[in-house]
Amino acid sequence: MRRMRGLASGLALAGALTTSGMAGGGAVWAAEPPRPDEGNAKAIIAERCSTCHERQADGTLNRIDHVRKTPEGWTMTLFRMNQIHGANLSAADSRALVAYLSSRQGLAPEEAAPFRYILERQPSMVETPIAEGDLSVMCARCHSAARFGLQRRDADEWRRLANFHLGQFPTTEYSALGRDRKWWEIASTQTPELLGQKFPMKTAEWADWQKAAKPDLAGVWAISGHRPGLGTYGGTATVAPDGDGYSVRYDLTDAVGQPLTGTGRALVYTGFEWRGATTLGGKELREVFAASKDGQTLAGRWFLADHDEVGASVTAVKTTTAPATILGFSQEHLKTGASARVTVWGSGLDGGPVDFGPGVTVKPVSQSATAVVVEVAAAANAAPGPRKVSVGKATGMGFTVYAALDSVAVEPAFTIARVGGNGGTTAPVSAQFEAVGYLNGPDGKAGTEDDIRVGALPAAWTLEPFNDAAKLMEDVKFAGTIAASGLFAPAAAGPNPQRAFSTNNIGDLKVVATVRDGAASLTGEGRLISTVQRWNDPPIR
Amino acid sequence: MKTPFIRGLFAALCCAGLLAAVPTCAKEYLITGVKPNGLVVIDPAARKVEKSFKIPGAGVAPGTIVPSPDGKIAYVVTNHLESVSGIDLESGKEVFRADFSGNNLRVKAMFAMDVSPDGKELFVFQSPVRLLPSEYKVEDTRIAVYRTADGVGAKPVRLLPAPRRLAVLAFAKDGGTLWALGWDLYALDPKTGAIRETRQVLNWTRENYGPPDILDVWPQFEQAAVFSTPYFTSRTDLPPTDPSAFKTGVLTLDLASGKLEMKDFENTSAVIFSSVVNPKKRDELFSVYTQLSKIDAAGGALVKRVDLPHTYYSINIAGDGKEVYVGGTACDVGVYSTDTLDRLGQIEIAGCPDQGVASLRMIRR
Repeated sequence: MRRMRGLASGLALAGALTTSGMAGGGAVWAAEPPRPDEGNAKAIIAERCSTCHERQADGTLNRIDHVRKTPEGWTMTLFRMNQIHGANLSAADSRALVAYLSSRQGLAPEEAAPFRYILERQPSMVETPIAEGDLSVMCARCHSAARFGLQRRDADEWRRLANFHLGQFPTTEYSALGRDRKWWEIASTQTPELLGQKFPMKTAEWADWQKAAKPDLAGVWAISGHRPGLGTYGGTATVAPDGDGYSVRYDLTDAVGQPLTGTGRALVYTGFEWRGATTLGGKELREVFAASKDGQTLAGRWFLADHDEVGASVTAVKTTTAPATILGFSQEHLKTGASARVTVWGSGLDGGPVDFGPGVTVKPVSQSATAVVVEVAAAANAAPGPRKVSVGKATGMGFTVYAALDSVAVEPAFTIARVGGNGGTTAPVSAQFEAVGYLNGPDGKAGTEDDIRVGALPAAWTLEPFNDAAKLMEDVKFAGTIAASGLFAPAAAGPNPQRAFSTNNIGDLKVVATVRDGAASLTGEGRLISTVQRWNDPPIR
Repeated sequence: MKTPFIRGLFAALCCAGLLAAVPTCAKEYLITGVKPNGLVVIDPAARKVEKSFKIPGAGVAPGTIVPSPDGKIAYVVTNHLESVSGIDLESGKEVFRADFSGNNLRVKAMFAMDVSPDGKELFVFQSPVRLLPSEYKVEDTRIAVYRTADGVGAKPVRLLPAPRRLAVLAFAKDGGTLWALGWDLYALDPKTGAIRETRQVLNWTRENYGPPDILDVWPQFEQAAVFSTPYFTSRTDLPPTDPSAFKTGVLTLDLASGKLEMKDFENTSAVIFSSVVNPKKRDELFSVYTQLSKIDAAGGALVKRVDLPHTYYSINIAGDGKEVYVGGTACDVGVYSTDTLDRLGQIEIAGCPDQGVASLRMIRR
């Protein structure tokens, strides 16, 4: 739903309008950080929530006090309370409650770690099925496994959630892989017990994190990441306390050395969940990062506010306190006999010589603490393989010298796009592919675990029918187009009278990349299913 | 349609027996539902919509439709599955209504509904949930029995226990058994809901076969008095890459004799949503989705298949077995020859409303 989608983006700004000051100013927070909104949140809960959520004999509020969730999880709960239970929470109320509840009843860093992809809205994630209790079928046939993996409840509370599910969505026991079993019988008995064991309310991780000092994230960060289809970027992010969150200024350059700058604002939930709203290079972005427990690194993804399938990975280290390190390269590979100007991004890079290993000569162009620009040249007989690059004490992997590619893989190997637009309420969802060159590893075989990644390379892109059905339905003709950059743009939504059965412009496609490497030509294949619109797009899918 | 007066006179003549020897005195009309909350009466022979009615109250998508045995009233699930409205097909007036929810109990009709052959009782399968202050509590499913004579504001006269996830209710012709299709096919006592007999469907065991999968929410059995539905199953002794590893079959339940048959008819090669049996050639069955298929149910063979211009969910058939009608999904009803599967015509519903999953039922007046 549009509104839900707006809410998802809005979360990144939660609290942005509350301007009262906060503890901070560089000090490490106390175990229970004083929050200006805490008193307010308690008052809102007393006024808006506790009428239905009765106080129990033990002093807790029914349901509310027996669940732990991520900020996005709490946002969805509050949205539902407004939509179907008349909670009548204003946007400011919701912001205060999300901040309060995810601080008091959030997930510890270790608990959220396995499921961060869903918070980051990674576009090409295929979850590993959870065979235990058939949870992927019982629960994750309708939504992600991350959706329950990012909640903590005891068995009784999981059982209440199961009751809500069938009560609210009575067709659950009629849908495929629900109707083949006594779904409700299992969902109301075995499943809550198992979830209560796997994802219980009380955990050592959460108890420890509640006690732990929370990091102060103000400072200058060295940052680097990869934008699929566009290449790497790097530079600095200057983070300063601002109200109950942080302001950020980005000074970055892209892979070809063009500046990429912007400013934004972020809130940190649960002591480590960074949620930011930034304008970078003129585009509105949302940031979903996790700070390490010691506050020395930030990692995650940013994405376009209105097209979350388009985004970038982010890794950052605090320049003032983190050990010197290399985070990324403007170009991640060099062919033997070739030369290139390469920017090395990282922290503590002003302390020594630059070395790309034997057979690669390095000529410094410029050097600062967070970026070193060098001219590198690989000798014709330079040994192909991964290089450990060093700049003084800082080291980093991720740079490869190659003589000839052994294989090309299309990445992601499988993803989806969605039709959209055409007067409908849902925008199309694109898919970005990259042609990634590899060298064979020690086993001498392509496509195995030990392959050595060379990196994304320019390619010629074509679409083919994935199978006979796709050929028969002329999917290639109708489903969309792929640009020279590897970006697939789906066709317009709605029934298409030009197609058999007037079906919409969905398609099952083979995405073929052809990379020229000297005289050789290598191809790789991926699979794209361009499918129908997602009508309901909550913060956690 | 003629004026009510003329029409009434015509019907009266038939009933008076003056024309009783002439079978054509009873005319057939198709009934379908359209969004938002509309009911449409179609004269298939004339290829036109006769009447369009608005179902009173809230609701968007009409669901299951059950005509009264005399063809005068259509009972329609409405109000987001929480009510059934009985609409007089002559006047459009709501002559029956049962609102299920109340007193913190939210009750949804989940597809399965039928009326007793004497027209006196309406049986509605319901899924209730108790809405407590801070939690929901799922309650046992049931069949609520309403007296049709109770009209607007009807309350259940009996609540029969019923297995979960039923999707079709179909009365035996003699009214003595209420058939209920869910995981299996249950023969229920219409007085008590007691399960007299369970015919295995999902639990059907065949060597080297997995359990059959059925989801049919379209009661389209009035013409032949045979309920039919496609099922999908797989061979457990063949690799999934083998085209013959996946099988489509049809289940037929003769509502006169109680005879149940399940027979594969092809290696799965088409999606099928619903089906109907030819009342004049009772082994002949027609099914729809993006294609219209003619199936030899007894012989277990696909006879013919043609592409449809778009998806249709529902299907019904003329009493003389000559024309088959495909509906649901979009805003037209397609007319096909049962003999050749040629498209003979179509009925466009004005304003192009979406029929969604509404039943496509036939009445004789």
